[in-house]
Amino acid sequence: MIEEAPLLRAQNVTRLYGGRVGCRDISFSLWPGEVLGVVGESGSGKTTLLRSLAGFEPPDEGAIHFRHGTEEHDIYALDEASRRAMMRTEWGMVHQNPRDGLRLDVSAGGNIGESLMARGDRHYGKMRARITDWLQRVEIDSSRIDDSPQSFSGGMQQRLQIARVLVAEPRLVFMDEPTGGLDVSVQARLLDLLRVLVRDLHLAAIIVTHDLAVARLLTDRLIVMKDGHIIEEGLTDQILDDPHHAYTQLLTSAVLSA
Amino acid sequence: MITMLEACGLRKTFTLHNQNGVVLNVLDHVDLDLAAGEMVVLKGPSGAGKSTLLRILYGNYKPVAGAVRLRHDGEMVDIVGARTSRVLDIRRRTLSFVSQFLRVIPRVATLDIVKDQMLTRGIGDAEATERAAAMLTRLNLPEQMWGLAPATFSGGEQQRVNIARSFVAPTPLLLLDEPTASLDPVNRDVVVELIETTRKAGSAMVGIFHDDAVSSRIATRVMQLSPRKAV
Ligand SMILES: Nc1ncnc2c1ncn2[C@@H]1O[C@H](COP(=O)(O)OP(=O)(O)O)[C@@H](O)[C@H]1O
Ligand SMILES: Nc1ncnc2c1ncn2[C@@H]1O[C@H](COP(=O)(O)OP(=O)(O)O)[C@@H](O)[C@H]1O
Ligand SMILES: [Mg+2]
Ligand SMILES: [Mg+2]
Repeated sequence: MIEEAPLLRAQNVTRLYGGRVGCRDISFSLWPGEVLGVVGESGSGKTTLLRSLAGFEPPDEGAIHFRHGTEEHDIYALDEASRRAMMRTEWGMVHQNPRDGLRLDVSAGGNIGESLMARGDRHYGKMRARITDWLQRVEIDSSRIDDSPQSFSGGMQQRLQIARVLVAEPRLVFMDEPTGGLDVSVQARLLDLLRVLVRDLHLAAIIVTHDLAVARLLTDRLIVMKDGHIIEEGLTDQILDDPHHAYTQLLTSAVLSA
Repeated sequence: MITMLEACGLRKTFTLHNQNGVVLNVLDHVDLDLAAGEMVVLKGPSGAGKSTLLRILYGNYKPVAGAVRLRHDGEMVDIVGARTSRVLDIRRRTLSFVSQFLRVIPRVATLDIVKDQMLTRGIGDAEATERAAAMLTRLNLPEQMWGLAPATFSGGEQQRVNIARSFVAPTPLLLLDEPTASLDPVNRDVVVELIETTRKAGSAMVGIFHDDAVSSRIATRVMQLSPRKAV
């Protein structure tokens, strides 16, 4: 049940923008099947960290190790092609704005199909069945398969983006404020969907959010960031119910009902 | 006698950084041993630290000092220093916390909430459904409610869903924080019976009950906590 080797290890990850700190000296490990939340106010470095972890931007200092089988790879020491291949097959990124994660000029079904093709699937009939299955899983009526995502609501676009990422069967997903721009009722539905998917697929996930209620519902462990640093880390309910750091106490007291 | 839990030297303070750094000194030198089949009832005035102690035993609050070892998979494991995945595994199979509040999961139906733990532990769907249905019936929650998410239920109904979920396939260790508070006498008696049956079947429990009649019926031992002062 408990797998002993971490799936991902961040080691002193630092990213600077000129003189400005994006994130500094971030170290932690993520185990298979574990859901880690990264919380902190706007500008605390959550997105910067996530983009470095997910292979989009190399850190200025430090390293990110990803375990593949028994081997650990320093993802930025790999050549570009190998890193891209890992990004397609080993992990996926759900962007805050679904438009950044979808191809808007391709049909809904095509968006899911592209992910399958990127991992080498070619059998058209099987692909069509998997696409339909995934549309259902994210609660999009399969009659919409040929429609453009442009015609979808924000919540539907986000669910489609999630299907596009998860159909590739990654072991790890990164999500940046996945419920960010959505209405509260739409958020609740998406959250429940994510909760069920993460559990059923035994996914590991790193979820950036500023919403502590989202963190409580979806994550096992929390990292609290401020000014680019980690200031507190631990079991999610322990951090939220018994915060030790002054800043975490401020964050949690602002949302007593979280 | 099988030891299920040993807590020793527990100390807990809360530092309220945003309230002038006030330090609340809540527990000091608290020890507790618990064997299978025991129900230790915590007593003490409001604010004495009863809930705090239960939450430390659950790994929800972090003690300043002391250890909490509990029997998990046949060995004694320290929950205070355990890695997240270990704590979650302990909570899935060994240790549960029952409060008077149900943490509602949006959109999940009552019957599924009660079945969930059983399914996770590998009990088949048919058996899980049957046991969940029997438990909900016993707690006087009518069948029309089983398909609904409890978000809109009354406080007392949510509380009974929570109890059904916790007692349908009870873990070897249970922590009860006023589970009978605000229940009517009929349902309170059902819960008292459930607790008794579960204890006699071998579960070990620590509980807080506001109602003296209830606690004297179910306690096998009483532990007194006294309030401390701010330092
Ligand atoms: N591309 C960029 N160029 C310059 N500064 C940036 C850039 N991206 C982020 N920053 C700065 O880095 C810090 C962390 O930002 P970000 O990672 O976006 O935080 P968060 O996601 O927590 O809101 C902020 O001070 C932000 O202004
Ligand atoms: N998370 C917390 N943060 C700060 N103080 C707390 C926290 N939890 C409990 N306390 C304080 O600890 C003391 C004991 O509370 P509690 O354990 O709930 O007592 P009891 O259950 O015996 O009524 C109280 O003063 C309470 O305010
Ligand atoms: Mg951001
Ligand atoms: Mg209490």
